[in-house]
Amino acid sequence: MANPGSGRKGNVVRPSVFRGKHRDDAPKPILVMEEVYKYFRRDVPTLRNVNLTVERGEFVFVTGPSGSGKSTLLQLVYRQHTVDSGRILFSGRDVSRLTDSSIPFLRRNLGIVFQDFKVVPHWTVYENVAVSLEILGTNARLARSRVAEALERVGLAGRGNERTETLSGGEQQRVAIARAIVTEPALLLADEPTGNLDPQLAIDILTLFEEIHEAGTTVLFATHDHSLLATSPHRLVVIDDGRLIEASQGLRAWSARMQSLGASHAS
Amino acid sequence: MEIWSALSRAKRGFRDDLRLHVVAIASLVVAFLCLGTALLSVENLTRIASRWSQTQHMTVYLRDQAKEADVAQLRLVLESLGEISKVEHISAVRARELFAEQTNMSSADLAQLPTDAFPASLELDLADGVPSARIEKIAARVQRFAGVEEVETYRSFFGQLRSLIDAGRSGALLLSLLVVVCVLAVIGNTIRLAVANRRREIEVLKLCGATDSFVRGPFVLEGVIQAVTASTLAMLLLFVAYAALHGHVESTLTALTGVRTVFLNPLTVLGTIAAAAFVGAIGSALSLRRYLQV
Ligand SMILES: Nc1ncnc2c1ncn2[C@@H]1O[C@H](COP(=O)(O)OP(=O)(O)O)[C@@H](O)[C@H]1O
Ligand SMILES: [Mg+2]
Repeated sequence: MANPGSGRKGNVVRPSVFRGKHRDDAPKPILVMEEVYKYFRRDVPTLRNVNLTVERGEFVFVTGPSGSGKSTLLQLVYRQHTVDSGRILFSGRDVSRLTDSSIPFLRRNLGIVFQDFKVVPHWTVYENVAVSLEILGTNARLARSRVAEALERVGLAGRGNERTETLSGGEQQRVAIARAIVTEPALLLADEPTGNLDPQLAIDILTLFEEIHEAGTTVLFATHDHSLLATSPHRLVVIDDGRLIEASQGLRAWSARMQSLGASHAS
Repeated sequence: MEIWSALSRAKRGFRDDLRLHVVAIASLVVAFLCLGTALLSVENLTRIASRWSQTQHMTVYLRDQAKEADVAQLRLVLESLGEISKVEHISAVRARELFAEQTNMSSADLAQLPTDAFPASLELDLADGVPSARIEKIAARVQRFAGVEEVETYRSFFGQLRSLIDAGRSGALLLSLLVVVCVLAVIGNTIRLAVANRRREIEVLKLCGATDSFVRGPFVLEGVIQAVTASTLAMLLLFVAYAALHGHVESTLTALTGVRTVFLNPLTVLGTIAAAAFVGAIGSALSLRRYLQV
């Protein structure tokens, strides 16, 4: 069935329901952006002609200076904002054409992690993680075991009963990550998830994302922290002046490119 | 089931915003107490009215100088009428005695009352179902007999009681409207504050893929629970107050009115609580429409 609403009764809405009648085709990229433009101000696009394809199982860094549009790019995927032109296909389905009432069903296939954690401070760790499953209508018994499993994956096994606000920043971010992965989403979006953490904790969190990626989840990770990029072998795309540039040879190639771009700007 | 999830999240909402909800419920209890008191008064006034309009009674006051023969003839005529089931002659002395019995007045006090305060009378019991037009006709005929001072059909008294009850009814209706407005305001405001206190929670739900109805469900439930709790509490309090006062005033009231007082009938109580639930739901829904841009 093409209607994502049909997943309401299931435990998890699998992205296959977004694939609609193309079910039998070869697996599509999980995310495709085609000629995407986003304007917050007239005449000055925040994103211009962005093209990006993310295959299933990839780990992709999105970087660029503060204010370059990294958050905006991710927000277009989870429909916090809508593109002004172009298309964004998630599992082959154009998310910019979803009606408002279908947006929840898109988000159930995504895990999203934020810089400011976005956990509910007075809830317990368990409640903060279980909320994703509650939304899906997962029964309580299954939810308990899935939450326990997710907490173990993020290194918080057995801490479900603690009030979330009593945890350290790094631990709260782990709670948020557990909430994002407990539904086993097809795509994990991370918007500067290490931005509020000190460097050692940042590396720990990145390592956690890499473990999650190795277990099969596709990750789109936005950060402007170059120290994280330097140590990682993953694919890197850069937003510069609203344009998306592939830095296929990793950070070094990208820096070289940046320098040459700077030179060509100067000339 | 979404309703169970909403219920458990509403419970969490009560836990997290306990003070807010307690204050809201307390003010709603006051409102429902006023409404309950008004309903209770109307209910009992209505009972008195229907009891009194059932006792069909007429009094023929006789002149002090009325001749015995005239009275005897009048009695004969009255007893021959099918509409009149019983005729009883009360002499002036007997009237004075009856009054003394009913009021427990001392004989000294009684002696001070003017002699013409207690005229002799014929007390008539009317048969069931005599139309009031017919009663008026009989009264007019009796008025023309020699020796008759005045005929009292109690019609004007019923009229007064009726208008008292009508006034009570309009008062209760007005009060219900006020209570509705009050409930809407209190619950609307509480839900507005609850929404503000739970911004983060709402944001998290939306980002995790909750539908609008999933987000709104617990708030609407909280409004309903507040209204139902408050109205139930108010009814209980009213009943306790009624039961406590009942013993003290019942005998006096019954003597005065001839009707035993009753508490609100169960249907009225249930109806009030159901209406409260409905208004509570409306109040929170209106508030959510304004303050929860999901
Ligand atoms: N909701 C919005 N309304 C108006 N302008 C916005 C909004 N969101 C982002 N912007 C603008 O878009 C640009 C990119 O912002 P953002 O995507 O947050 O950058 P980054 O995450 O890379 O720091 C900034 O200039 C910002 O001011
Ligand atoms: Mg950002």
